[in-house]
Amino acid sequence: MTGSDTRSRVLVACLACVERWGLAKTSLEAVAQEAGVSRATLYRWFPGGREQVISETVTWEVARFFTRVEAVVATAPDLTAKLVEGIVFGHRAIVEHRLLQRILSTEREALLAELSESSLLVLGVIRAYVQELLRGEELRAGIDPEEAADHIARLFLSYLGSGGRWDLTDRDEVTRLVRTQFVAGVLDDGRS
Amino acid sequence: MRQIPAYCQQMPVIDLSDGGPTGRGGATDTIGAPTSASLLVAPAASLEQRIIAATLRCVSRWGVAKSTLDDIAREAGCSRATVYRVFPGGKDVVLLATARHEVEALLSDVAAAADGATTLAGTVTASLATAVRWLHDHPALQYLAEHEPEVILPWIAFDGLDPILALVTTYFAPRLGRYLPEREAAELAEALCRVVVSHAFESADDAAIDLTSEQEAGRFADTFLLPGYRSTTVHHRS
Repeated sequence: MTGSDTRSRVLVACLACVERWGLAKTSLEAVAQEAGVSRATLYRWFPGGREQVISETVTWEVARFFTRVEAVVATAPDLTAKLVEGIVFGHRAIVEHRLLQRILSTEREALLAELSESSLLVLGVIRAYVQELLRGEELRAGIDPEEAADHIARLFLSYLGSGGRWDLTDRDEVTRLVRTQFVAGVLDDGRS
Repeated sequence: MRQIPAYCQQMPVIDLSDGGPTGRGGATDTIGAPTSASLLVAPAASLEQRIIAATLRCVSRWGVAKSTLDDIAREAGCSRATVYRVFPGGKDVVLLATARHEVEALLSDVAAAADGATTLAGTVTASLATAVRWLHDHPALQYLAEHEPEVILPWIAFDGLDPILALVTTYFAPRLGRYLPEREAAELAEALCRVVVSHAFESADDAAIDLTSEQEAGRFADTFLLPGYRSTTVHHRS
């Protein structure tokens, strides 16, 4: 078994434990048992113990989530369309993520603290992704792609989490949102 | 507006009767003058304010979990019994009153800056720079952001942000409504809140643009926020 196989087996096991017992009650013993390895082995793979296993599991699940978002937006033709699809799908996926929603209602503070550790990473990844997409677009004169990507990534994450006054299930409304707030100042063909 | 999630129901109900017009069209006379300032800087007039100021100093030193009611009383120069008398219920009530006071102070300070402007761009720029600077310079908030993020995150993460978005929109949409139609004013007010929250708390040091600078905030607004709304600008209604 390769290193990454054993590692992901532990993360899957940890996720199953959290699903069953919640974050606080997920012990290293329980994860070891679920993964079918000894506690000592687990410590060898994760020297940081329980904390490291939980933190890596959360980061892994976050990465899986954004991989799903990326797969959905892949077929959209341009930046605007990708943002629309990403917001509609991503927001729905968060609302419908049963484990996330359950832990948010039972162990909100603990989960948010875990998630905040990966939020810097997430912002960086989305920013880089958007900046790459901007290469294929006609930008307005004077636009710095790095600044534009930062703005778009921050807004994107904000809307994924909370819709506020927008109905993010309505594709037309989300299209208007993306055109006015995300790309109007950035793209040459943006409505202005 | 979606229903406020259950865990938020303990959130402070902020009385906006002074500064928050409930509808549009009331124009300037319904937008009251700011009345409060952060007790980090303002002289504390009442016992209640002295306790809130003491709470802020304790939280910026030790955080929420480690600040005890005794610490707060000592810092305020009064007895524990007095704190209980002023804030029946103890620590949680003091903390909530402190949070409520500081949110009101932030809104007032930003409103004062916004109301000094006479254009849409000026209003947006002043609001952005003032809000981001205010949050950056708030020792208690910055201590929490760094050491006890779980205290702040429920207010800004996922649908926990919705009540704040709604509050800020109620407060600022009428101010932007001097230049924009009702719907656009509300949208832009909410967007401003999102930008401020992101820049104040999430990877703030990593931001591509430093919004604490008035000049940079102005460039940011001009470049990214206003182009989508400029075409709908209406003549300043005085």
